[in-house]
Amino acid sequence: MSELALIIEDDEDLASIFAEALRGVGFEVEIIGDGQTAQEKLKKGIAPFLILLDMHLPYISGADLLSNIIKKDDRFAKTIVIITTADARMGEAYNEQVDFVMIKPISFVQLRDLTSRLKPKG
Amino acid sequence: MKRQFDAILNVPVSDPDDARRRRLLNILLFGTIVATLLGLIAVVIDTLTRGPADAAESQATLVGIVMVTVGILVIYQINRRYSGRLAALFFLLLLTAVFSVTDTPEQLTGGRSLFLFTIPIAMSSLILAPAASFLFAALSTGVISALALSISHSINLFGAIGFFMLALVSWLSARSMEEALRELRVINANLDQVVIERTKALAESLERERIEAGRSQAILNSIADGVVVFDTNWNAMLANPSLRGMLDLPAEAIVNKNFRDLIEHPQLSPKSRGLLRAMMEHDTQPPSFRIEWGNKTLSISAAQVYDYSKDRFTNIGTVTVFRDFTREAEVEKLKSTFVAIVSHELRTPLNAILGYVEMFKEAVYGPMNEKQVNMADRIMKNTQRLLGLINDLLDQAQMEAGRLTIKMSPVRPAELLENLHGVMDQIARDKSLKLTSEIDDHLPEVLNGDGARLQQIMVNLVNNSIKFTKQGTVHVRLFCPYANKWGIEVSDTGSGIPESEIPYIFDTFRQVEGTATRVHGGFGLGLSIVKQLVNLMNGDIQVKSTLDVGSKFTITLPLVIPEESTEKWRIG
Repeated sequence: MSELALIIEDDEDLASIFAEALRGVGFEVEIIGDGQTAQEKLKKGIAPFLILLDMHLPYISGADLLSNIIKKDDRFAKTIVIITTADARMGEAYNEQVDFVMIKPISFVQLRDLTSRLKPKG
Repeated sequence: MKRQFDAILNVPVSDPDDARRRRLLNILLFGTIVATLLGLIAVVIDTLTRGPADAAESQATLVGIVMVTVGILVIYQINRRYSGRLAALFFLLLLTAVFSVTDTPEQLTGGRSLFLFTIPIAMSSLILAPAASFLFAALSTGVISALALSISHSINLFGAIGFFMLALVSWLSARSMEEALRELRVINANLDQVVIERTKALAESLERERIEAGRSQAILNSIADGVVVFDTNWNAMLANPSLRGMLDLPAEAIVNKNFRDLIEHPQLSPKSRGLLRAMMEHDTQPPSFRIEWGNKTLSISAAQVYDYSKDRFTNIGTVTVFRDFTREAEVEKLKSTFVAIVSHELRTPLNAILGYVEMFKEAVYGPMNEKQVNMADRIMKNTQRLLGLINDLLDQAQMEAGRLTIKMSPVRPAELLENLHGVMDQIARDKSLKLTSEIDDHLPEVLNGDGARLQQIMVNLVNNSIKFTKQGTVHVRLFCPYANKWGIEVSDTGSGIPESEIPYIFDTFRQVEGTATRVHGGFGLGLSIVKQLVNLMNGDIQVKSTLDVGSKFTITLPLVIPEESTEKWRIG
């Protein structure tokens, strides 16, 4: 059975590139394009194996999603959280709170290699 | 009392010599009156003690005394009203006459009273004329000769010679005294002239100064910049109208007020207040800085004023110039925001392009032939270059807006080099260059710094060196020149920089010779950003370069060892 990876990213192109990288590794991928939808989904849906979270999102920012839901709900305790941002400074600030920080521009190969290491074998 | 006495003695005439003689005569007249009165008292006592035996003699003496007194009063009037010389002549004649009858002819011609005649001789030089002493010497000689003849004595030749000797001495001394006085008067007159000239010169220079000050005031009043002058305690001594208009405050609110009170004004933003406080507290002022006053942005530059006196410079205050920077600040802000937004918006699609090309290259949708892979490679490289340029622009915009700050945290120099190799090795290899590096043994393993910005500095410098090196090596060295400094040195075997261009290589949007932009690409922002970052870190950057041999960039930064690691360091 394949693990679920949630991509929360408002840019369609980037989302599709990220999705392709993760699918290539063998994840089941779901894309969410804005903070509002992401919040609803996270509140009722099942906990994904991995969340790729953009910090700059319409309606509700990635930073808010992280601190208000993901960090507060025990369901996400085992979820691997990767945040993406273009702001190196912001990335540094979250270094301690999440599993990985990726600074944009994010390379397809880089993301694919990272996630393939994270995915459980078998 | 003295003044009244002086009024009696002095004769108001313009000739100073005449005045002196007449005053002297008055003093002598006064003295004679006193002597006469003493004589009167002596006669009275003599008469009372000896009885009326010599009544006739006493009577004659009394008549003499009265006559002398009347004579003196008359002479005094002549001296006062008519002529000093005439009065002096009468007085001397009176004295000679009186002396001629005061004693027996024997005593007068050759005895105890001979000396009496020397008195008018000596006086005449002083109160009549210097040469008059000879006249009275002759007169006295005549008198004693006549007296001698009257009692059938021989003429006292030695006495006569004595009179003339005395006359000679009197004449010489009186003459030399008058000469000395005349010279003194000339000196005094010259002195007066000098004083007058000096006073005039002083008045003129004061007038010039007044005009100069008026001119300076006019300039100060008409310039558009606000100027305020403080003394060493930051009390405002003067403020020009432009400043009052800029701050919208009346003169009373600024002049004679302490600046520390003025900066409590509510129009001033807290940050600006801090900047102004820092300006007052530090002896060395920054070249210029900006403050927010209400909705205005003011640029401030302050300069200490020194007075050179007693062979040293003393600080006498500060001149502070305020310039209205509102419009420029708005434009700058707009530009920075524009660049920041544009750069941000450009980066996302570029990231997408990069991702898609990578997918091609990685054959996500099936394999490509060699040429296609090659093309994908080129697209990737160009996209990365574009991204680099945008990053530079963004950094530049942030630095101009003052939004780029340095955040210190523990950094491992070895890690900086590792990352540098990770990013730059491929780029060096593509140009067949060697990228080498070393770490000085003295350099601490961990130090405080802004890791991301240090990395950026190193990448930019190495990028620059690779760009201008056709063959050979680019070498990076991290070192520790002094106890409290550490440094980054990047040297290459490239084309070198002409000496004339070295002052400009850190300028924004500039490359050596202008043509370089076309050959090497880029905005020429790399070195400018390095310089600005180094400045933000309170560091210094130096360049040494020889044409066709290579260049060496040396950065020195303050060395701060993180506290935790100091402990570890000591233990280890």
